[in-house]
Amino acid sequence: MFKNYIKVAFRSLNKNKTYAIINILGLALGLAVTIMVFMFIKDETSYEKHWDGYERVYRTGIKASVMGQAMDAPVSPSPMAHTFRTKFTDVETATRIHTVNQEIMVRYEETKVYIQKAVQADSTFFKVFNYEFVQGDPKTALIGENSLVLTEESARKIFGDVNPIGKVVKYDNRSDYIVKGIVKEPKGHSHFQFDMFMSQNGIRNVWLMNNYYTYVKLKEGVDCNVFFKKMRRNFIKKIEPDVERILGSTVAELFKGESYYEYQIMPLKDIHLHSNREMEIQQNGNIMYIYVFIGIALLVIIIAGINFMNLSTARAGKRAKEVGVRKVSGASKKMLVTQFLTESVIQSFIALFLAFILVELFLPGFNNILETELYLFNSHIGETLVFSLIITLFYGLFAGSYPAFFLSSFQPIAVLKGDFTKTNGGALLRKILVITQFTASTILIIGMIIIFQQISFLHNKDIGFKGGQVIVVPIQTDLMAENFRNYKSIFLKNSNVLNTTRASFYPGDTPNQDMYILEGSKDLLPLWNMDVDYDFFNTLDIKMLDGIKFDREKESDSIPYFILNETAVKNLNIQNAIGRKLSISQGSSDNVNYGNIIGVVKDFHVEGFNSEIRPMVLTISNELWFASFKIANIDMTSTIDFIEKEWAKLEPSHPFRYTFLDQKFGKLLRQQENFGNMFLVLTILAIIISSMGLFGLASYTAQQRTKEIGVRKVLGASVPQIMKMLTMEFIKLVLLANVFAWPITYIFAKDWLSNFSYQIEMPIFPYILATLLAMLIALITVSFQAYQAAVSDPVDALKYE
Amino acid sequence: MIKLNELTKVYRTDEIESTALNAVSFEIKKGEFVSIMGPSGCGKSTLLNILGMLDKPESGSYKFLGNEVAHLKEKGRSEVRKKNIGFIFQNFNLIDELTVFENIELPLLYNKVPASERKQRVNELLEKIGIAHRASHFPQQLSGGQQQRVAVARALITKPPLILADEPTGNLDSSHGNEVMELICDLHEAGTTIVMVTHSSHDASYSDRIINLLDGQIVSEKKNKLVKAAI
Repeated sequence: MFKNYIKVAFRSLNKNKTYAIINILGLALGLAVTIMVFMFIKDETSYEKHWDGYERVYRTGIKASVMGQAMDAPVSPSPMAHTFRTKFTDVETATRIHTVNQEIMVRYEETKVYIQKAVQADSTFFKVFNYEFVQGDPKTALIGENSLVLTEESARKIFGDVNPIGKVVKYDNRSDYIVKGIVKEPKGHSHFQFDMFMSQNGIRNVWLMNNYYTYVKLKEGVDCNVFFKKMRRNFIKKIEPDVERILGSTVAELFKGESYYEYQIMPLKDIHLHSNREMEIQQNGNIMYIYVFIGIALLVIIIAGINFMNLSTARAGKRAKEVGVRKVSGASKKMLVTQFLTESVIQSFIALFLAFILVELFLPGFNNILETELYLFNSHIGETLVFSLIITLFYGLFAGSYPAFFLSSFQPIAVLKGDFTKTNGGALLRKILVITQFTASTILIIGMIIIFQQISFLHNKDIGFKGGQVIVVPIQTDLMAENFRNYKSIFLKNSNVLNTTRASFYPGDTPNQDMYILEGSKDLLPLWNMDVDYDFFNTLDIKMLDGIKFDREKESDSIPYFILNETAVKNLNIQNAIGRKLSISQGSSDNVNYGNIIGVVKDFHVEGFNSEIRPMVLTISNELWFASFKIANIDMTSTIDFIEKEWAKLEPSHPFRYTFLDQKFGKLLRQQENFGNMFLVLTILAIIISSMGLFGLASYTAQQRTKEIGVRKVLGASVPQIMKMLTMEFIKLVLLANVFAWPITYIFAKDWLSNFSYQIEMPIFPYILATLLAMLIALITVSFQAYQAAVSDPVDALKYE
Repeated sequence: MIKLNELTKVYRTDEIESTALNAVSFEIKKGEFVSIMGPSGCGKSTLLNILGMLDKPESGSYKFLGNEVAHLKEKGRSEVRKKNIGFIFQNFNLIDELTVFENIELPLLYNKVPASERKQRVNELLEKIGIAHRASHFPQQLSGGQQQRVAVARALITKPPLILADEPTGNLDSSHGNEVMELICDLHEAGTTIVMVTHSSHDASYSDRIINLLDGQIVSEKKNKLVKAAI
């Protein structure tokens, strides 16, 4: 019996190839998308779970607003970890790290290697993050002064085949470190990824300076809320002496207004998806993308499932005879339901097989777009398989159930008489399903257009500087830093080097903040500062709005000179800025060295578009570690070669490194761009799947109405009239779908746009365009079938009655 | 075998009520070959569908093998049908996705006959109707006459005591029609009860008795031995 079902299932598919292809391919695409989204989510939610006892680990943070200076960052003061370890009984251990935000040159004998991600860590680091040690002892590796632990890969780069343990390396040409341990790369993902760990032992007992990341591991069974309350109570007292000493006021006085200062904790496992604050160690994921992708996967599943149901029921007329014959041959309703469910499950599993092939084909592109490293047969393959089997079975049974019950309830007497056209049941349901499907597609189309409009808005936004022809070169030696101004002429000899300057950091990096005061005022001004060298504004093409640029000829070395940005002048309400005197606040100290404000520049972006431009002060300085060159737009390679050659003469100890400034800044937009691209791909897939379904459905509708069309033609209907009749039916459905799609999309799009500090006005254009697009897609898909039906010979249609 | 008493069937739509069968009563004995004739719309197909338990009467009694079946539920009717009745249709109604062999085998599958016995019975029957060489072909590859012979074979395979035929030669030319009628006569001679709806008096001439219907009522009934003897 079962064999018969399977046999009929395959023959029936083989006989109706168009139907089979639409159904199975649509389902396979839907499954492929679902499986990939599952893999992506599995990967994104797997962060930190490889560390022993990760559920008990928390990272501390601070949310504060003090005198208009806001901070929301996962940072903590130097003594915090030590206090946890010594004063808190419910803490198992705590550790503190300080990331080195710059690549570091490590030298062993003649080998010079740049280490990308170095970190200074307390000796307890490996108690919280149990890296697997290949050599050395995790308990003692970071205890001594100047101890070093390397990953296997870094060790191989520096030492080759030499056993590194006990060897001394030179760090940044400054200090010596002894290698005490080699660790393996961790088995899973983390919110950090380090290549080198250096010991740090000193604790500066200042609670108001937050330069560290602190991780605390609680003892088993400790309630984190109880711990958290205790921690806040305890730590808020610690800042009192600092507030008095540095800010020159009491805590009570400080917090009486709108100011506040809160310590926070966040579970380690939540960091990757839920922490997108200032000063993250690296760009984290975003839970919103997870939700959006789940949403899309659901929409795609619904669209493909609807195809399946729609086509099966539409095809019912064709199979009605079979149902009748089987019934008069003795089949019970149950047997028929079983048969049709078997068929749909078989189809689903063929689709699953195809889906796995599609996943293999799509994954490289998927990884490329989302910058992930997913592959099908990874450590989650078991879960992926179980998930895809369940979803496939669900598809087969759920999507197959309606057609199964629908078909098996046919009365043999009706269908065996050849009167199939009367089996019009399910027409309303089919319409509802088509509307649902087009609602989903239209939501995706509108969403996609809005996302791309926003991204292109950010791209075309005036960022205030030009980074396309600027390369940034890190300075490695004190000698180079001290003498750079004298070396400038060496580089400018080449006429393709248009300009050169230095700065403490560049757009794309995170700025620092300090408190300033204006002469004659007591108010503290929180300003973000950037130290620059002469020619900075020329090199980056930043426009002056008022006053003059820094000029070596006109300045004395004894006093500082400042240039403010537009926002600083506006936000801090500094009237007649030029000529006024400004200084970094020295707290309660009276020894203030005021400098002159000599100019105001147009705003330029330093951070990404998630944050607004900050009030900024630029100061002239000679202690700068990043040079930059503006080079002509012709023959850039040889210009860079020239710079490299000259640079190597001046700084022979360190190999030359450079990055393009626009690439550095472009990284800030990348997450959004990736998201937009992924959305685009998934939208196109969803549209393909629903068009396939519509195509199939249109063909069956045309088939069902063959007789009607024949009669109409005999009575004198023209081909265009018949096409219009067949097409309008679907167009109406598509229009109705738009009525639902518009408000739904509006709500989601509004929410997404609110993530940006700079956003487009909610446009009406995507809604109209999407409606037109959906209609066009429907029209193209349906009109082909409608045309075929309309030009067919009415005699053929009528004589089969 | 079959005893109808005052059997009535009414079709209703929203506005119109039309009586398809109006108090029809007759009896068919075991081993009889009865033809039902009459113009289009006289109710002969409705009668056949009720006899075959594909449809339910409005009122009256239908005794099949001594049991009242007029008001059985779908499940019960399906049980009786499965064991006792074979159907032959004007448009053959073979399943396109199944081969000749599998089409004939289908009722045996639903009657849960073991595979080896199924094979043997189907092969025997294929020999008998002379299309054994076409066993693995699909219906579309056969001529109309061959298709109807397969349909007849499918009706016979469970050896039902009653065969209901609805215009079995209606879609066939006369030579193929005759082949099929001969097959039905063979069945009759072997003892199967046959009820056939037909427009063709030629086909009706093969039967023992002809019932003439008009507007849902029996208008005449005649024994047919004479006609048959003349051929």
